[in-house]
Amino acid sequence: MAKRIPIAPGASLNVIETDKFKTNFISVNFIAPLSSDTASLNALFPAVLRRGTKSYPTTAKINERLEYLYGSGIGTRNYKRGEMQIVGFSAHVMDNSFTPDGTDILGGTLDLLCEMIFSPKITDGGFDKAYVESEKRSLTDAVKAKINNKAQYAYIRCQQEMCRGEAYGVQETGTVEDIEKITPDTLFSQYKKIISDARAEIFYVGRNASENAEKVADKMKTAFASVTRIESPIPLTEVIREAKEVREIVEDQPVAQGKLCMGFRTGTVLDDGDYHIFTVMNEIYGSGTSCKLFMNVRERLSLCYYCSSSPEPRKGVMFVSSGIEVEKKDVAQAEIIAQLNNIKEGIISDEEMDSAKKSLRNGYLGISDSAGGIESWYLGRRLAGLDDSPEEAAEKIESVTKEQVTEMAKKVTLDTVYFLRGTLLEKNEGGNE
Amino acid sequence: MAEIIKVENEFLGEKYYVTKHKSGLEIYVFPKKLTKYYALFATRYGAIDNAFKLEGEDEFTRVPDGIAHFLEHKMFENEDGVDTFERYAKFGASANAYTSNTMTAYLFSCTEHFYNSLEILLDFVTHPYFTPETVQKEQGIIGQEIRMYEDNPGNRLFMGLMEAMYEKNNMRIDIAGTVESISEITADILYKCYNTFYDLSNMALAVSGDVDVDKVLEVADKILKVCNAQKIIRCYPEGEKAEVFKKRYSANLQVAKPMFMIGVKDIDISSDPKIRQWKSAAVNILDSMLFSRSGAFYNELYDQGLISPNLGYGYDHAKTYSFNIISGEADNPELIYDRFVKYIDDKKQNGLDRDAFERCKRVAYAANVCSYENTDYIANMLINNVFEETDMFGYTDIISSITFEDVTELLNKIFKEEYYTMSVVNPIETK
Repeated sequence: MAKRIPIAPGASLNVIETDKFKTNFISVNFIAPLSSDTASLNALFPAVLRRGTKSYPTTAKINERLEYLYGSGIGTRNYKRGEMQIVGFSAHVMDNSFTPDGTDILGGTLDLLCEMIFSPKITDGGFDKAYVESEKRSLTDAVKAKINNKAQYAYIRCQQEMCRGEAYGVQETGTVEDIEKITPDTLFSQYKKIISDARAEIFYVGRNASENAEKVADKMKTAFASVTRIESPIPLTEVIREAKEVREIVEDQPVAQGKLCMGFRTGTVLDDGDYHIFTVMNEIYGSGTSCKLFMNVRERLSLCYYCSSSPEPRKGVMFVSSGIEVEKKDVAQAEIIAQLNNIKEGIISDEEMDSAKKSLRNGYLGISDSAGGIESWYLGRRLAGLDDSPEEAAEKIESVTKEQVTEMAKKVTLDTVYFLRGTLLEKNEGGNE
Repeated sequence: MAEIIKVENEFLGEKYYVTKHKSGLEIYVFPKKLTKYYALFATRYGAIDNAFKLEGEDEFTRVPDGIAHFLEHKMFENEDGVDTFERYAKFGASANAYTSNTMTAYLFSCTEHFYNSLEILLDFVTHPYFTPETVQKEQGIIGQEIRMYEDNPGNRLFMGLMEAMYEKNNMRIDIAGTVESISEITADILYKCYNTFYDLSNMALAVSGDVDVDKVLEVADKILKVCNAQKIIRCYPEGEKAEVFKKRYSANLQVAKPMFMIGVKDIDISSDPKIRQWKSAAVNILDSMLFSRSGAFYNELYDQGLISPNLGYGYDHAKTYSFNIISGEADNPELIYDRFVKYIDDKKQNGLDRDAFERCKRVAYAANVCSYENTDYIANMLINNVFEETDMFGYTDIISSITFEDVTELLNKIFKEEYYTMSVVNPIETK
């Protein structure tokens, strides 16, 4: 279980001690409501902060410093969980006990990290204009580059179409147009707002927690004291529990394979209290290599290489993704629905039930082998107002019954079908008779 | 009973055990107090092995491209009709497999019932079962996997680089093959490949986690039968030149911005594994000095808006291939290529930076110390070292032995314009 240390109003340090690794992990997460007005600003400012600080005004200087600190890594983060946007930094640091020369890697990395967040390079009372322009360009490139990964692209497009008009339909990068509008001034004021107003969850996962976490806490307290913090709640996520009519969207692209992404409303969310039943249902349906989608859409019908479901536990949505031959779209879609209907009708074997539980249990217990995994678990729980450990979650699923799974599946409704129709082979075949 | 050898490194505080099992299989056990167990059962057989014979056979057998990967898929089917994934599922293990240019590996990870799952791993990989029907079924699944890779710009970029770099080397072969090449695969050819390369003398098992050597050996005793220990003769194309085959490869895909991959061909591969390992470590330090995010190459190009932030680089130095790669996204890849050539020339003339050398050695030192953090990585690294005949604990001494003069010499030897080539994936022109 995570120990919590108050750092400033609305800011806490979560400490998880583990001696499994020779590296320690630190993250600083600011949690903002996901909104089209601010998504691109929130996405951009950490990247600008990473470019230059007061003492290390260039990116080259920052990176030289990190190399000197035995390759400590500091990376920016920006992702959404439900209708929350989480931005900030993560760092991994070799434990001081393994240095050959007594370098204080942890202290050095923390100083740099705190300076990055609270004392950036300032020119004319704001962010360096060249850095802002350069990072706007990179973020724009990143938004445009989403088209490079077709499966991911189809998934994003399905989310956008299904949740248009809801905050969840907003991408954590914002749009190219949003980014275009950003000025150094609007960015700087949003940055100031986030570091003082947004809920902050800081993590230390690593060795020698009593001493190291105290060091993290001290440095963070000093750093956060440089701004006037307010207590802020965790942003809420709007939940739509049932789909109305099904929408179908087809888009053409000159690619070889069609990408199908089907969006469902799950009718249940993490803080309902019985979400663990849905987790078992999802495992039976579309996760891993013994689920219904894998065994049927792939293994029995040979329609695809991958077919799996991924739920969003806070928003109460689930997406089923598969890469298929364009002509097989209707067959695949029908099979994906048929497998869900099987669960709704209680067609679940004892083996499926047992495999799903064991697979989930294996996943939960394995979390403790990765510092990033541990952090991600506890941050996710914290955001839902929970604090159970992965081991406790593993225990909880044991008692789930088939009947409960069936009832849970009945709440799932299809909302949106998105199909990226590949046109490349069509043309080839036309000219190839 | 065969001797169990303990290999220990005090500096790292790590150890593993190795033994030659009576079946003929080499077994590596790396005890590690973590929650996850991981096992990897691998054969020295990958996409490059497309012509071979056993000692005593008259003729080489030539097989269709992509067959090692196809065989990997087919191994999961069993004579009793029970899918291997279902067998693992009873014990909660998460199973997978992969095929590389030089290796096929079967793996699982779990947190409980490790020895039960290990039994399944050793059993299914030593029991092939193919029929014309099941082969045909797999052609559909792998066909879609191939289509997926065709649409993947990163894959196209890399395969394009191999085609430009090499005239003959089998690195040109796409691991999954093509829809056409896999259509030639039959159950008979699969058995031929299996019987040649899945002999236990050509394989190795590596396990990592909170494991007990004796219990691992008990499972091996129960499942494995004594192998034939046959000698495999592999036929690879000869006469690969030092210079690159072509200076450019380009393809058009629906991407947002051109993607480039600059390759530096290196055919100077020692037959001595120790030298290979040393060179690999030294060039990795050299690469960080040249291309890391503290360096002038990255920062100048990025500040001028010429590249996206995700510039990648790396050196791959194996028994059968060796090259450096620098890759990223840029509006004008030709300009990046020119800047790359000039940058290297400048470094050769004016010398490398000693501070950068010291910093990059620190990075390499920490990367080595922190390598042993998860069982997945440990088992994979162990097998890679076994197949490359190198000592995984050897890096500690190697890294401290590398000097500034060494990396300077490597800079002058490896980076020559006749060894450079570039692969580019351009966006499809929209009308």
